[in-house]
Amino acid sequence: METLPLTPLDRGLLRLMRLRGAMAGCFLLAAAAVGEIWVDRLVDLPFGLLLGAALAILLYLVLWAPPRRYRAWGYAIDGEELQVRRGVWIRVHTLVPLDHVQHIDVSQGPLERAFGICSLVLHTAGTLHSQIVLPGLTRATAETMRDEIRGRISEEPA
Amino acid sequence: MSDGADRHLHPGTIALRFIKEAPQTLFALPAAVAFSSRSGLTNALYLAAGLGVALLALKWLAWRRFRYGVGAAEIVIESGILHRNRRSIPFDRVQDVDIERTFLARVLGLAKVRIETGAGGKDEGLLDSVSVAEANRLRETVRASRSGAATAARPDAAEAPESRTLFAMDVPRVLLFGAFSFSLVYIAGLFALLQTFDRFLPFDIYDPARWVGLVGDYLPHRWTLGAIAAVLLMAALLGSAAGVLRTLARDYGFRLSLEGDRLRREQGLFTRKEAVISRRRVQLAQLSGGPVRALFGWSGLSFQTLGAGADRGGHQSAAPFATRSEIETVLAEVPPLRLPPPPELVRVSKRHILRAAAGSLLPALVAIAALSYLLPFALGLLALLPLLLVAAALERRFHRYALADDLLFVSRGVWRRRLWLVPLANVQSLSLSRGPIQRRLGLASLAIDTAGASMINAPRIVDLRSEAAEALAAEISRLRSVLRYGPSPGSVPTQDERLS
Repeated sequence: METLPLTPLDRGLLRLMRLRGAMAGCFLLAAAAVGEIWVDRLVDLPFGLLLGAALAILLYLVLWAPPRRYRAWGYAIDGEELQVRRGVWIRVHTLVPLDHVQHIDVSQGPLERAFGICSLVLHTAGTLHSQIVLPGLTRATAETMRDEIRGRISEEPA
Repeated sequence: MSDGADRHLHPGTIALRFIKEAPQTLFALPAAVAFSSRSGLTNALYLAAGLGVALLALKWLAWRRFRYGVGAAEIVIESGILHRNRRSIPFDRVQDVDIERTFLARVLGLAKVRIETGAGGKDEGLLDSVSVAEANRLRETVRASRSGAATAARPDAAEAPESRTLFAMDVPRVLLFGAFSFSLVYIAGLFALLQTFDRFLPFDIYDPARWVGLVGDYLPHRWTLGAIAAVLLMAALLGSAAGVLRTLARDYGFRLSLEGDRLRREQGLFTRKEAVISRRRVQLAQLSGGPVRALFGWSGLSFQTLGAGADRGGHQSAAPFATRSEIETVLAEVPPLRLPPPPELVRVSKRHILRAAAGSLLPALVAIAALSYLLPFALGLLALLPLLLVAAALERRFHRYALADDLLFVSRGVWRRRLWLVPLANVQSLSLSRGPIQRRLGLASLAIDTAGASMINAPRIVDLRSEAAEALAAEISRLRSVLRYGPSPGSVPTQDERLS
């Protein structure tokens, strides 16, 4: 199954990941700035230690982590299965038989809309992975996939 | 179709609920009043009588306002004294009709009917309680109309499906099962009971001197090896006796029978429980048992069904204590389930031992470090660390899998041995995952998701060799497609082909 080439997600997702990282990083930076003032009164720490650490984390969240996470994502529709690969630390490769899919959502949040991407959510009757989320698809791709999967959902109940 | 809700519950329900709730209401409040105001026993009695009448009136009102009925295609239930609620349950949404009879209900000739819709217990219909005849009539009606579409030509076949016993436990079997269900937990329960009634006992159960004295009376030297052995033996006997009694109460007269498309289970000494398992809704089967049971060839069989019932975690017990051949008899009626074929199941990768030991090494080291901070000699515990390897090796010994045609077998657990039988057609998704340690060792875990599985009781093959895991996942996919479209690899029909 590794032989099957997986399709990468839309570049918009990478930009969205960077934006989310930047938001989290800026929040941390602000907290560090406040912390810097407080800590300065209590103990004698070299100035900029907390700020420096927060800045490093910000850079990691914007420059380093998103490409790795983005590259980890991939998907393919192979006959009657959807394959989704994700995860950097714990790499997960999920196979979803399409005839067991209960229903399909195409969802788009405000940030996703800004980057022109949306998520495809497959609901199965299973309990451990009852939702399989595939983020970072263009609207056209997501809708094509949805229609194709809908055609494969069997008529009889699972 | 008519309005439907034209029936009341059995009037005995009022008595049943009154008897059930009276002790809390009738004694608690008057007792509190009598205690706080010191106004005497007579006033408390008057109060109790007044409350009793009020409670009875309330129960009568609730009974009066509760109506149900069976329409052409649905069951209608109307309830609520002030806030009226009308619920309709279409027949084709009904998964199970369970009948339960508590001891009190049996005395009054009543039965509780639970209509399960598979909505996770929150959206079901409960008729508490109707007469036994009415309960059976309801079940027959629902069943007849459900199978009516399929067997319209032979209505009599749908109404009276022949009943054939697949598995039953006689009293000696139940007692034997009880003997294996040894548990010290029940001793705690026994003590709780003693505590409740301790004023009636001629001694104080919390007086250790008396216990030691009791032992001392029988044995001349108090803390000899013999005395300790005697105490342990006592505990073991008590534990077994409690296990036997509990099993006897729960599984007396256990019977699993086949009726058309359903399996019907009856069990219980005081509370007689009945449940129906639809064969089509069975997602997978599980065998479980401890090492001692396994040694004597006993194990328990349960089915995981869609739409979790009242039973634990969507698992319906089908044969709690059975031999291999008895389990085979039951499984033969629920195709494609069967026991694994003679070629033994395959063990997972040898490196599982390393990975499992590595996983438990860190917590163990932290615990020892923390302990040695308090007690210096705790460092000696480091000598026990190789035991982790032994435990991991033992774990691997019992973690096996096999794929045979249309079934996947997974076994796991040293103390609680479990064997899953998963029909490939019921696999909802497969997940292959590799953590950092697993990647170093070239391992992968395969999780198999099925409908109705619980978090802790799902089949998972941990630490296969990476290539083996990928091959297994690919093979499961291939076999699934063969099952679905016939044995012609590479020719999966397109949407248009299937529509035509």
